Amino acid sequence: MSLSNIKILNKITNKKNTFIKTGIFSAIAACWGVILLGTFITFK
Amino acid sequence: MEVFLPIAEVFVSPIEILLLSALVGVLSGLFGVGGGFLMTPFLIFLGVPPAYAVANEANNILATSVSGSTTHWLKNTLDYKMGFMIVIGGSIGTALGIYTFTYFKGIGKIDTVISLAYMYILAIIGTLMLVESLGEIDKAKKNVVERKKLHVHYWIHGLPFRMRFPKSKLYESIFTPILIGLAVGFIAAIMGIGGAFILVPAMIYIIKMPTRLVPGTSLFVTIFVSVIVTFLHSFNYGSIDLMLVVMLVVGSIFGVQVGQKLGEKIDSSGLKVLLAILLLVVGIAIAYDTFFAEEIQKEIFRVSSADLNFFSKFIQEFSKDMPFFYGLFSIMFAVLLGIGAAFIRRFLSNLRKKYFIKPTK
Repeated sequence: MSLSNIKILNKITNKKNTFIKTGIFSAIAACWGVILLGTFITFK
Repeated sequence: MEVFLPIAEVFVSPIEILLLSALVGVLSGLFGVGGGFLMTPFLIFLGVPPAYAVANEANNILATSVSGSTTHWLKNTLDYKMGFMIVIGGSIGTALGIYTFTYFKGIGKIDTVISLAYMYILAIIGTLMLVESLGEIDKAKKNVVERKKLHVHYWIHGLPFRMRFPKSKLYESIFTPILIGLAVGFIAAIMGIGGAFILVPAMIYIIKMPTRLVPGTSLFVTIFVSVIVTFLHSFNYGSIDLMLVVMLVVGSIFGVQVGQKLGEKIDSSGLKVLLAILLLVVGIAIAYDTFFAEEIQKEIFRVSSADLNFFSKFIQEFSKDMPFFYGLFSIMFAVLLGIGAAFIRRFLSNLRKKYFIKPTK
């Protein structure tokens, strides 16, 4: 396999990892958002 | 098919409860976590009032921890001395927890407090687990070997009244296990959980016990904490429903055995991400249910005692007339079921070794 092909594959894998990580961190942020917003609204 | 719970006064589907408790049992056997922080929210979703869900789950945890602890006792992987020190703190913490529970029940806010405690705890554990497992995946990919200090000392290690714990080979202040027990007991009383998710990391990273003694000792502590929680809930509020406890215990003991067997065969570290996501989802569901769902006036079932069957009538009268003995009976019932399950498991394991596994020559 040529060097350029390996580079492209690595780039795709890195992009995929970044995508998964961003997804998971947004899910965590959404979860905390719902909980904190709910607590704020309820106790206000 | 639905059955009426005579103490909680709601109709539930026994198949749903059996399946859910078996599923939670499988998860706890697979990941080595107690199932309380998943089963109590599930019971609440099934319509059991939070105050009843907490009490009955504590009784279920008693049975499963007796079962697990007996297995560790048979393997001699228990540190009794350390366990008793944590139990001292646990008893004080439980009493404080029940006092707090009574206060919030008195002002009519106990259901909100339980829901809030669950959503925050689930969100915190879920986030920590997710971040940790993502970090592990990253490290495994990059082949990073992390250098760690052999011993990290916190302020808790400088406390006075040090004592020797020969089995764990430790020389530790008695206040360290007592303080940890205090926190566990308090949370267990309010949330109806065993507290292993606090106890296990604390035993490993703060007390620095040998890892092989941690699961057995943690289960040993859980027995005492859940006995006190069960008894106090039963005596103070009459909230233990033996009908619900039977379904929970049968499902979870079966599930835990399946989960432990599965854990021996598959690598559960990759599945940790899924468990973390499940915890976050349950946390969000509780948050939605508490804050944003429309107030639905729940149907209150009034079933006169004449309509109840013999078993339900017996439970209702026993709980009302003799709360002290009813509490003791609930505890003994869970303990016997737990010990029975452990011995049946050992018997079946010996039988399997004798007849199905060929000896290597």
